[in-house]
Amino acid sequence: MAPEQRSVESLASKLRRRQIVGSRATALETLLVLRQVVSKARFSNMDQLVEIIRSVGRRLVEAQPKEHSVGNTVRKVLHHIREEYQTATRGSAAVSVPQSFSIAKFVLLGQPRQHTLAPKAESKGTLKENDPDDPDSFARGLKPVLMEAIQDVLDELETVYDNVSKNAKDHIHSDEIILTLGMSKTVEAFLKSAAHHRKYTVIVAETAPLYGGREMAQSLSSAGISTFLVPDSSIFALMSRVNKVILGAHAIFANGGMFATTGSLIAATAARAHSTPIVVCAGQFKITPLWNLYHEYGALDFGDPSSVLGFEEGDLVDKVEVVNPYYDYLRPELIDAFITNDGDHPPSSIYRLLKETYDDEDNEL
Amino acid sequence: MAPKSSSSGKEKLIDADEEVLQAVILADSFNKRFRPLTTRKPRCLLPICNAPLLDWTFESLALAGVQEIFVVCRSHAEQVKAAIKESKWSKPGSGIKIVPILTAKETFSPGDAMRDIYTRGLVTSDFVLVMGDLVSNIRIDEVVKVHKERRKTNKDAIMTMVVKESGAQHRTKARGDSSVFVLDAETSECLYYESVTGFPKTTIAHVPREVLASHPEIEIRNDLIDCSIDICSVEVPSLFQDNFDYLDIRRDFVHGVLTSDLLMKSIHCYVAKDGYAARVKDTKSYESVSKDILSRWTFPLVPDDNHPGGHIYDHERGNKYIAKDHSVILARTCKIGNNTLIGSSTQINENAQIIASVIGENCVIGTGSIIRNSYIFDGTVIGADCVIERSIIGANVTIKDSTQVQRGCLIGDGVVVGPFAKLKPFERLSKKRDATDGQPSDADEEVDSDLEDVEAGQDSIQETLGKDSNALVWPTGPPDVDAEEDEINNYKNERFMRLGDDASDLDFSDDGSVSSSSESESDEDDSDLELDRSSLTAPSDTSLPLNIASAGSPMAEHEFRMEVAQSLERAFAEGHSVDNAAVELKTLRMASNVPLTRVREAVVAAIVEKIQIIPGGPVPQRKEIASVIGRWGGLINRIGGVDPVETITALQTHCASSTHLPLFGQILAALYQDDIVEEDDIRKWHAQPASKGEGLKESENIKKCWIIGAHMIKQFDEQESDDDEEEETTEPTKPVLAESQNAAVPASSSEDEDEDEEDEDEDEDEDEESASKDAVVPAKAASDNDGPGDDGDDDNDDDDDDDDDEESEDSEEEAGPSPKQSETPSLKKSELPSARSATTALPPSTTGPSAVAGPVPAGFAPTSTSVSAPTISEPAAKQTAAVGAAKDSDTDEEEDEDGDSEEDDEEEDDSEDMKSGSGSEDDRQRIVAADGLSGKSSER
Repeated sequence: MAPEQRSVESLASKLRRRQIVGSRATALETLLVLRQVVSKARFSNMDQLVEIIRSVGRRLVEAQPKEHSVGNTVRKVLHHIREEYQTATRGSAAVSVPQSFSIAKFVLLGQPRQHTLAPKAESKGTLKENDPDDPDSFARGLKPVLMEAIQDVLDELETVYDNVSKNAKDHIHSDEIILTLGMSKTVEAFLKSAAHHRKYTVIVAETAPLYGGREMAQSLSSAGISTFLVPDSSIFALMSRVNKVILGAHAIFANGGMFATTGSLIAATAARAHSTPIVVCAGQFKITPLWNLYHEYGALDFGDPSSVLGFEEGDLVDKVEVVNPYYDYLRPELIDAFITNDGDHPPSSIYRLLKETYDDEDNEL
Repeated sequence: MAPKSSSSGKEKLIDADEEVLQAVILADSFNKRFRPLTTRKPRCLLPICNAPLLDWTFESLALAGVQEIFVVCRSHAEQVKAAIKESKWSKPGSGIKIVPILTAKETFSPGDAMRDIYTRGLVTSDFVLVMGDLVSNIRIDEVVKVHKERRKTNKDAIMTMVVKESGAQHRTKARGDSSVFVLDAETSECLYYESVTGFPKTTIAHVPREVLASHPEIEIRNDLIDCSIDICSVEVPSLFQDNFDYLDIRRDFVHGVLTSDLLMKSIHCYVAKDGYAARVKDTKSYESVSKDILSRWTFPLVPDDNHPGGHIYDHERGNKYIAKDHSVILARTCKIGNNTLIGSSTQINENAQIIASVIGENCVIGTGSIIRNSYIFDGTVIGADCVIERSIIGANVTIKDSTQVQRGCLIGDGVVVGPFAKLKPFERLSKKRDATDGQPSDADEEVDSDLEDVEAGQDSIQETLGKDSNALVWPTGPPDVDAEEDEINNYKNERFMRLGDDASDLDFSDDGSVSSSSESESDEDDSDLELDRSSLTAPSDTSLPLNIASAGSPMAEHEFRMEVAQSLERAFAEGHSVDNAAVELKTLRMASNVPLTRVREAVVAAIVEKIQIIPGGPVPQRKEIASVIGRWGGLINRIGGVDPVETITALQTHCASSTHLPLFGQILAALYQDDIVEEDDIRKWHAQPASKGEGLKESENIKKCWIIGAHMIKQFDEQESDDDEEEETTEPTKPVLAESQNAAVPASSSEDEDEDEEDEDEDEDEDEESASKDAVVPAKAASDNDGPGDDGDDDNDDDDDDDDDEESEDSEEEAGPSPKQSETPSLKKSELPSARSATTALPPSTTGPSAVAGPVPAGFAPTSTSVSAPTISEPAAKQTAAVGAAKDSDTDEEEDEDGDSEEDDEEEDDSEDMKSGSGSEDDRQRIVAADGLSGKSSER
């Protein structure tokens, strides 16, 4: 077995065994594997390459369907590769987009993207698909561009925290009280960045049963932000004093809803009751072209009950059914804005972002 | 096969880099708890939640980062090999190298498997040892890290056992087979291990006192699930090789290593705080592990996430798992309860109910059937209106309409039952053998012989199984002959491990009785030599009698005895030095892994047998005894531990059953003379309930010995009182302890209720009387007494006594001073640990002392203990000694007149003595001495 296949398998089993968790970590690992696969891949036309990448993507997504960023990364790579391919084969001249504004454009945008692929014969430049004399020539010509495209995605992933938080000071004002919960690296970076410009207070809920909030509070207060750590039960009581709720996300869906760490739904509902704005910080790689996951009970990813009920409580273990989901589903109505590394968006325009980021034919890998 | 695999294994290891983590899976259960499901299939390939157990184990190890796995398989080894070959693990890219090892059919225990591992040289570094039925998500690699770290500083830490905390009661914790761990609170070193059985119910764990002495803080825990995950260093297989009688890893190896005074190895425990680990040891744990998997304790090893069989399941509310490939047909009106798993292509018909059950692939559940808490393997068809509760149904079984399967049934693969059959609880069915089965292969031999046994018992039961049935009914009752089953696997204990069996009747019947009674029951099966030795020796060894009884089968026991006898014979014949003989015995003991007590018994027996019975009268006989004891007596204390009380007990037991009975007194005297036993020891022995021989077969002879002992003690007492009276005489008299002419001297214990009413005058009378008796002692006895070097020891003795006297004085003061109240020092001492009494209390005997008859050998004359040691407590000592003596003879007198009432008194005394005497050795009990003391004193 080729080394790249082995690395795919190894990543798949790591994902299955939950040895790699977290959206960004899985996205990064996926990207590294894809880079290896592409660099070793043998193909003589575009379809072959796409199929290779998709099969790897399928394998990884099957291994862990609950880490949505794996599939997102694969889709993103496919999208970039197609773009590079377009430019390489047709030259930049053809990509000129009409700038005129018309209502018809909105209609067009709702439809699947039309691939106006030029007939193969017309392809110009040095790239030639299915060259019978030298089947590798196409790959040889395209690979540098492909690697560049993957590198772009990688760069984007690596800078995602900075890019999300670059506008932080526009969202947090002086003397505001912010409520957050759980341990989200994105939110952490966002709040810390805002602290350079503003003086404000953060209330962090403990977020049982994982208690990520404790870690978050520790980190924020060590960065000089005035921080309160409160139990989850007091979220509602404190909500009347809170100016804004800032949450992290696990995955953002096409309808504008999202999966976020357990306890987010409590905070969001409480915030809605007090008409407190709810802002979600998330990298673009979390935007997932799915929308009906909340119908699936298992999608919330149920962990083991031990953090809720200790295994040593032998008497209870037999009699009590313990449910320990990792995520809450937040309906789009609960969310006011998404702050991504690609600008700020309301839940209602997430579908737009999806259209721009991924190709429609990749929605099902 | 063997040499090839070992060499190839080695090559691989050399190629691999240093950090490869190896694991050894013992993929054989070495028992038959899953019969008949396991007649054609090894246990490790039984599916649990629709994936073979072995795959769960592989996945558990993979989760822990293990890279190389050796699977040691015995029964159905070819099947295991084939299963491994076909599984996803042998595909490239799995990241794990799995090497099946086929061991010989003669591998009957985990110990044998370990020896096999050693001979093949499979492992080269620290490795993980698990059983082939493990389900775990514990990060074993972290345990390995801890283990290796410890090994850097402590080379003797050879093993780390992974245990999981659970409550006192837990469905996953086996009641029939749990254990007590004694851990050092700080280093979590395992200091002592004892296995606990459900039947006979283990109520006491006995911690050796050295453990308490050498560790400031210990934890004694019975709430740990032993997951059988061991991180072993390379020495472990070689230890198994050296100790070829180690069978079980826990009961023999761990216990052996921890109790050995030669190995100097230590074993640590890792108490896993998070994570899950459990073994499918029996049908009960099959159920509980299934439930744990379905309620996601094993996350991420759950059906919808990382199913080891590679199936994909949908997780629905209430922990229902339905195969995701849309091949499951659920009728509109069927009910699927919580905690249920349904495999792909299974069809559930109208109005069927599936509750908390696991259904395999390609099954059909008929209309209106109810399946509750049951586990149904692949391809099984269940007809309409059946009821199945708490049972395991094998693969490709057909259960026809309206059949009832009650709790605890096991139905083997391919059985057809029904229609209208009613299975009783705990019924076990397997398929009849086909006549056209062809020649049975080698591997099936064992199975077939089992089946033949079962077939023999078939008669009219057939009719209840329905007309089309092809089933054989296995016997349910306790097996008739159980020669090779060990204590864990006895029938009643197995019941604790049976699916659906709450064993409440066992629990109930056994609750009230103390462990020793069930102990003696079980001991009666043993050979005569073994006769209740466990209870005899109980006080001298703080370990549980159970252990002694369990340490070896009667057969091995006998062999060991022969070996010792031969070894000593050689030593006697060739005139070895005592040292050399001692070394030889030690080696022998290690080799056969018997407790020290056994060795002592054997040595005492051999020495006693060495003494020839000389008919020429007492004097030459005494000479003979003195010479033998003088030459070899020292050996008794050189075998690895000094325990004089036990020595006396051993002597007593041996004499009671041999022709040397008449010599008991003389030998004891000789031992006393050679300082092998001391006065105190004789007293302690004498105070033990078992020494009186109650409830034993040989009780008469034992009783005789005990009476001789009583006389000796009496003489000690007299001696003391004599000394006290003649305190200031420059020449200490040599009071002679003499056997009385009167054969039937009833010897009660040295205390009596009447004693308070006794007058001091009477005491003096008594003294005179006994002095007159002394006169019959041959004069020569006095000259024997002057052994050089005796005095020093005797001094010590006296000091001890004085201390005790002081103690008793104190206690008397506490209880309110009463001039008449006095107790003998020895009794006072023995009273202290009465808190422990319940553990070895035997029912008081009803045999009166008058029952004893026959000649008692005359004449033994121990050295004087009378070195004048005037201390402040002297008067008290004097008084107590005198009273003790008075009481003895008092009972003598009264005995004949009113035997009945006296007997009653005796009984009371006996039981009291037993209580107090049984614990007298136990130093650690001094902690509670204060309580016991005040309690006792107020009683009086």
